[in-house]
Amino acid sequence: MASPMADRQVRISRIGGRYLAFDIEDVVYIRRHHGICAILMGTMPQNPTQNIFLGLPIELYAEEARLLIDKKVAYIADEATEHLSQLKTMDPTARSAYLQSLKMQRKTAQLGLEDAKAKSKAQYQRRAQTITASSSDNPNRTKPASSGREDSLFDSQPQQPAPVAKLALPAVTPTTSNVLVASGGSSVSIQVPASYPLYRFLNTRGYYITPGLRFGGDYSVYPGDPFRFHAHYMANSYGWDEKVPMLDLVTSGRLGTAVKKSFLFGSQQPATAIAAESANPGEDVRVFCIEWAGM
Amino acid sequence: MSSDHSIETLTKAVLNNLENQHDWTQIKVHTQANLPRPIVYGLPPKRLYVHPDEQIALIKAQKDRDEPIHQTPELEWVLPLHLAEKWSPAQFAAVFDALDAVPPGGAAEAAGDTDGDNAAAYTQWKLWRNSKRGKRLLLATVQDDSTITYYIMHDGLVKPRQN
Repeated sequence: MASPMADRQVRISRIGGRYLAFDIEDVVYIRRHHGICAILMGTMPQNPTQNIFLGLPIELYAEEARLLIDKKVAYIADEATEHLSQLKTMDPTARSAYLQSLKMQRKTAQLGLEDAKAKSKAQYQRRAQTITASSSDNPNRTKPASSGREDSLFDSQPQQPAPVAKLALPAVTPTTSNVLVASGGSSVSIQVPASYPLYRFLNTRGYYITPGLRFGGDYSVYPGDPFRFHAHYMANSYGWDEKVPMLDLVTSGRLGTAVKKSFLFGSQQPATAIAAESANPGEDVRVFCIEWAGM
Repeated sequence: MSSDHSIETLTKAVLNNLENQHDWTQIKVHTQANLPRPIVYGLPPKRLYVHPDEQIALIKAQKDRDEPIHQTPELEWVLPLHLAEKWSPAQFAAVFDALDAVPPGGAAEAAGDTDGDNAAAYTQWKLWRNSKRGKRLLLATVQDDSTITYYIMHDGLVKPRQN
């Protein structure tokens, strides 16, 4: 599992200023290996007004997209421009490869159809045989002759149209243009919020981070996958010299304790203050935790 | 809130509150050149903070004992603040950098505690009073009506207690 994952490059599509991932393999990979959950945001075409059951794609925060880029495990594709330029500058070999892939899709569709047909035929035959078997148990032997005639009728029928169907492959409307897109993205700069250093700091320590609004902070921080753990912290990020009102600390501390969490706040230290240990990214953040003292 | 007089009143208010409302003892005011203001330390009547991992170690140690492990209180730092103040992360970091984990006199007391018991199985939970004790202090936030709220502030990532 580890070796094919090692050189995986996640394709992050930037569409309308959002960072999206469409490949389920990518979603699994970033969740398992990089502690990024992101948010499922694709709704169901049949029932687009509900938002309880959501599926692909996932939307990544700017922080998450930036982190993956910084780790060199993903690339950004600016879909709107890239798609058009890809189509315009297509050379003959790429074009024929694409047409070939379309043909392959139609062939697989054809195989699928034949498979389904063969299955239903086998099922029908089995049912017919059980009917003949049960009727042959009957002492009254008037049926066998007629059922034999049915069999021969049934055998002769599908053999004739089969060669005709093989000539015309079924028409397939491609639902994705995966084959068209080249890997290797455009160099897009990602605007991250000021809390990115805190995000990276927590992520490098193995914490999973989800949006913090439900507990009243910037992030909620989980010690493992949110499916398995409760959050340990609600986190806020401040500037190193940003004056934080004590009332904010007290109310956040109180709120954190009320939801059985610790209120964490952190800030990136300016380069001068840490000179020596600044080599490691994600090490230049100072964090503090606040809990109610119980008195 | 920057004048010496107001800080003095603030410290006095916290001192009085700790002594008379919360029954703290051995309360002293600690001044240090690199501290922005005097810091209070004292001994609460009950142990104020038990780390969740220490609690696990205590429960494990408790299984092999007949009598309950006595939780002697520890000296704690208290930082007096007024609600109207605004502090930056840099200022909090400076206070933590200036302070030792254990207030004066607390370290010797805790060290003496471990020497009495040599059994390896019991030492794990005792380390939390010495080498494993992280830096922490109490934020004593004073409001104008002399209400004081106390919050424990840890230096670094410390997971929440199971309360």
